[in-house]
Amino acid sequence: MRAEIANATDADDVREQSFGEAINDALAQAMELDEKVFLYGIGADGKSGIFGSTTGLVDRFGAKRVFDTPIAEQGLTAMALGAAVGGLRPVLVHQRFDFMLYAADQLTNWIAPWRFISGGRAKVPLTLRIIVGKGWGQGPQHSKSLHAWFAHVPGLQVVMPASPADAKGLLLSSIFSDDPTLFIEARALYSMREAVPTRPYFIKIGEALTRRSGNDISIVALSSMVPPSLQAADLLAQQGIDAEVVDLRSLMPLDMNAVIASVRKTGRLVVVEPGWRMYGAAAEIITGVAESLGPQMKSAPARVTWPHAYVGSSRALDEKFYPTSADVVAACRRSMAAR
Amino acid sequence: MNSIDTTTCFSLYRMGQLIRRTEEILLDEYAAKQEMRCPMHFCIGQEGAPTALAPLLRSDDSIVSHYRSHGYYLAKGAPLTEMIAEFHGKATGSNGGFAGSMELAHEEARIYSGAIVGGPIAIAMGIAFALKYRAAPGIVIAVVGDGSLDEGVSYEALNLAALHGVPLLTICENNLYAAHTPEPLRTMSRSLVERVKPFGMRVERFDGMDIVRLHLQLRDVIDEIRAGGGPRFVEIETYRFCGHVGPENDDWLEYRTAAEIAAWRRRDPLPALRAEALRLGTSEQVLRQCEAEIENDIAEALAAARRDPFPDFHSSLDQVWAQSYSPVVTEFVRGGEAAFDSRQAETRLKPY
Repeated sequence: MRAEIANATDADDVREQSFGEAINDALAQAMELDEKVFLYGIGADGKSGIFGSTTGLVDRFGAKRVFDTPIAEQGLTAMALGAAVGGLRPVLVHQRFDFMLYAADQLTNWIAPWRFISGGRAKVPLTLRIIVGKGWGQGPQHSKSLHAWFAHVPGLQVVMPASPADAKGLLLSSIFSDDPTLFIEARALYSMREAVPTRPYFIKIGEALTRRSGNDISIVALSSMVPPSLQAADLLAQQGIDAEVVDLRSLMPLDMNAVIASVRKTGRLVVVEPGWRMYGAAAEIITGVAESLGPQMKSAPARVTWPHAYVGSSRALDEKFYPTSADVVAACRRSMAAR
Repeated sequence: MNSIDTTTCFSLYRMGQLIRRTEEILLDEYAAKQEMRCPMHFCIGQEGAPTALAPLLRSDDSIVSHYRSHGYYLAKGAPLTEMIAEFHGKATGSNGGFAGSMELAHEEARIYSGAIVGGPIAIAMGIAFALKYRAAPGIVIAVVGDGSLDEGVSYEALNLAALHGVPLLTICENNLYAAHTPEPLRTMSRSLVERVKPFGMRVERFDGMDIVRLHLQLRDVIDEIRAGGGPRFVEIETYRFCGHVGPENDDWLEYRTAAEIAAWRRRDPLPALRAEALRLGTSEQVLRQCEAEIENDIAEALAAARRDPFPDFHSSLDQVWAQSYSPVVTEFVRGGEAAFDSRQAETRLKPY
């Protein structure tokens, strides 16, 4: 399969990879490019391979660069800061977002302000890979996505890819960025496949991607909510509604220029966020648009989010908790109907 | 070798006196002038460890310290003028005025500190890991107080340090109080070193009021770490003569007895160190000259700090992110929007 990769040359080879394989590929290429890159975390060298994302890496790069750890999220996160200060580019992987909250102190008190405190002299090139669980009764302690918490803290980058090719390019960019980066991976996306360039390549962090152009309404989505949003746009097209889908790709830096440009064109906005409703990323994006374009909008902006509650483990609850393309379609139709 | 030469003893005294007088003068100036507007934790009484350590440190070593860091900053060879400017919040400070006393650091001298108790060991462990990974020279010193061993992260870090065999010396200054709370109210454990030993590293307890002996003891420990012997933990028994924070004496809080304070003050490490320098052959005249130079250096640093400019507010807001990449990154592509089929099914999870 041959696919068009924007800005890539015709000479680029591509291969079809799943989201997990693309992450594995990015890690391998980062370690090939730079001896200073190493990967660690609970199970990082294990045969289970963290859903395929680390499979085989220890065999290629050895136990010095790919290793397992004790269950000590705070200490491991501080170790990443020290390693970055000591000249390395650490990649620490957490199999669930929920597990890394012990590290909230390290991230907010030490890592995020480290450069500011240094008077702008220090660089803190560390990457935390953080996986968000979804489905199969993951329940309240295996499914949280607290991207908005950390995007709120000055000094951190929060990257949330939605497709295999973006996952590869953005993970390579995260690892080689000189700022501390939370690279948030939706487990739901791991099975999805895409033609991915085989060479190492980089996507600038903080640039949204318009995944579908349209003139009637702007759907702004990120991470696991991008595929349902694109599906919703297809369904809306059948109903004569021409939706534009903007994939934010990162929450911090946040590409508000792309969002505002889209809404300036369409006059309508629905933000689709894989996270809790109150004080979330959707609220921030709608506020930013309202501040710029408020009176020019054709209808009130809307958000499609998780309910402001926990996902219960029962499949009867789990299946209803997460928004789907139908919810995005409904929100867009309400917006189109309103004046 | 269980003795030191004249030169080393004199250099120890010079450092001890520099730390002591800097703290005493800053303490007086802090209260009188109100020009140093940041919380400061003075180390009067606790000069032993940084003083004993100073001649043992090299430029490729790093220190990550608790917030009572002024002595370690000077011991690491970072400039006095930049420290005092930092306390005044000036652009010429070691951190450009952004850190004050509590997060005092100096990039080139490789000394860092912070206000959150327990962080230093874990961050120092990471720096030491990087040294071992890169097969680079140098060791790392983590400096914490007895209160930091109330924090869980300290044990995570000590465990990781032992597991990875990194070149890390953890110095735990036991001044008997976590801020104002004595050990018996915090733990049933009566030994810091016994808490650390099971992680698989050698531990020692040293007297922080006998600087010459402490220097010799730390010299042996550091020699062994430099030789690849792995991490070590040292408890240093010491006592804070000043208040926990700020220039005021806080003994009115009655968290420690007058008898206890008097007993520790009788063991003030500096007069004994001065006497030892004299005994080893440094003349009274040389000591007085050194003391006068220190007074002069501190006075000049204070005068400079007062003259120096404040940092610019707007540019300070722009230094939060580096917004740069490794030279490995030579070009950016936008990504594969055309290739992605959004109708694919989501992952169906297994039990894990």
